[in-house]
Amino acid sequence: MSENQEQSVTILISFDIDGTLEVGDPPGPLTMDMVRLVRDKDFLIGSCSDRTLSSQRAIWADHDIEVDFVVGKHMLPDVKARFEADVYLHIGDREDLDRQYALKAGFDFLWPDEAVDHPHFQPEP
Amino acid sequence: MTTPTAPDAMYRNDEGLGIWEHRGKVAAVGVGHAPTSRRWDGRPETCVGAITIDALRKAIDDAGVAPDQIDGLVVVPVTTTGAFWEQGKPLPMDVIQSFNQTDDPLDGIAKLSAEWLLANMPELTNVNFTMYGPGCMSNALNVTAQAVGDGLTHTCLVVKSWHNFEGRYYQGGANAGNALPGTPAVTQLWGGPASYSTALQFAEYCRKYGKTHEMMAPFMENSRRNGLRFPEGYWAQHRPEELIPEDYLASRWIAKPANLFDNDIPIMMSGAYLFSTAERAQDMKQNPVYILNHASSNTRPRSLVPTLDEVEADTARTGRKIYEGAGITADDLSFENMYDGFSLFHQFHLEGLGYRGIKFGEALDFYQTDISIEGPNPVSPSGGNVGSGRSRVWMHTDCIQQLQGRAGARQVTGVKPEVGVSGGPMPLGGNYTVWSASPD
Repeated sequence: MSENQEQSVTILISFDIDGTLEVGDPPGPLTMDMVRLVRDKDFLIGSCSDRTLSSQRAIWADHDIEVDFVVGKHMLPDVKARFEADVYLHIGDREDLDRQYALKAGFDFLWPDEAVDHPHFQPEP
Repeated sequence: MTTPTAPDAMYRNDEGLGIWEHRGKVAAVGVGHAPTSRRWDGRPETCVGAITIDALRKAIDDAGVAPDQIDGLVVVPVTTTGAFWEQGKPLPMDVIQSFNQTDDPLDGIAKLSAEWLLANMPELTNVNFTMYGPGCMSNALNVTAQAVGDGLTHTCLVVKSWHNFEGRYYQGGANAGNALPGTPAVTQLWGGPASYSTALQFAEYCRKYGKTHEMMAPFMENSRRNGLRFPEGYWAQHRPEELIPEDYLASRWIAKPANLFDNDIPIMMSGAYLFSTAERAQDMKQNPVYILNHASSNTRPRSLVPTLDEVEADTARTGRKIYEGAGITADDLSFENMYDGFSLFHQFHLEGLGYRGIKFGEALDFYQTDISIEGPNPVSPSGGNVGSGRSRVWMHTDCIQQLQGRAGARQVTGVKPEVGVSGGPMPLGGNYTVWSASPD
């Protein structure tokens, strides 16, 4: 997707935390600045993790990032039902709990290492 | 010296044995815990052998005993239930060579022998009794208490440690293959998740008594609350997160009706205690906590998964054995620290004990009352594995610390801590200890 196309569509990104975000355990390659970058691009964003909902909220609050949703691993279908978007993308580090759940819920999927280099996470010129 | 596994004769498996012959004559004094972590980071100083040495040295120091006074060591040799060194994975030679070795290169990394520990703790110059208590600290405590009582050792360390490697728990080792011999082929290779059996029993429990999984929420919240007051535990050290009902009930199923938080989180940990005779314990640094009894269940279920009827019959039998050997009744318990990993079987233990007079089918209603450490009916003041991560050790540490009056922010205040009970793991198949602030 080109940058112009990116600006004209609604993109929703669901982030796994552990093994995906830098604040995860283990830490993942996606930095919180990268999350802020897509937030500033008006993407719909949130987290989808086995961490408790309250601890997910606490992570986002600690980093002063406003998110649109926090859900458990099994709740990607609910996210899709709640938000209208042109692109639904989940980023995570587990084959079973991220990739398979994402594809089953009709989301596109990226591994964290792939996501780092994806145009979504590049600054606009 | 080759270390034997404890013989059956050391356990009190049967009803009708009467008062334990060493009641009040054996005491726990020192407690030692190593720092926890989620997984091994590959460094020598954090391998399971290293953290075990750390915990043992802390227990020795806590008891105020000179290392050369220690003549016994009881070890749980297995340090995982589901994190195995992958076949063909290169051995971490830098770690292996950082320690004195046995003939098993993974000793101290993926398992523990008494020989490895003694080879790496040169200060233990007079240990002439070693024994393995298989499986859990609960088992090893029974062995240690009996050994001290029988005079096989007078000042004895007992230790249980856990390692955790990267990767999914229960997915490696023999479980990664295509074939397993015997029952594990059905229960592990082709069966459900580890909590499957407990989930089935709990589902039948809810059907039989008209209860729901939602009724577990107060117990889970209370356990994590207590765990966050356990500075030795994983959640307190690394992720001080409460487990409120919304969080618990929103979690995904692992084996419905067992959800993610009904399954304990695997961690690296080590916990050790110093036991001695009641007489010697008088001169040590901490107040002795006397052992009134130990009891075991070695009941075999009729099939792969014990039925609820079998569970209830055996927990009741265990309760009777616990009280008989200790010479007490349920009314004498100040608190209980029965096992909780999986959380959905804690109520089976509780009902078997008849804790605070509850009967079968009443525990979930009991959970809706005040079960906090401040109340008159503290349930799992340790917080157990729910509160501090997978160890099967916290319940014992808490009993000792509660009765010594040094449980800190976790100290029970709604009752006077005089007698406690701990043990597990499973409702069928477990080992239990009755602890007391007084030998009488």
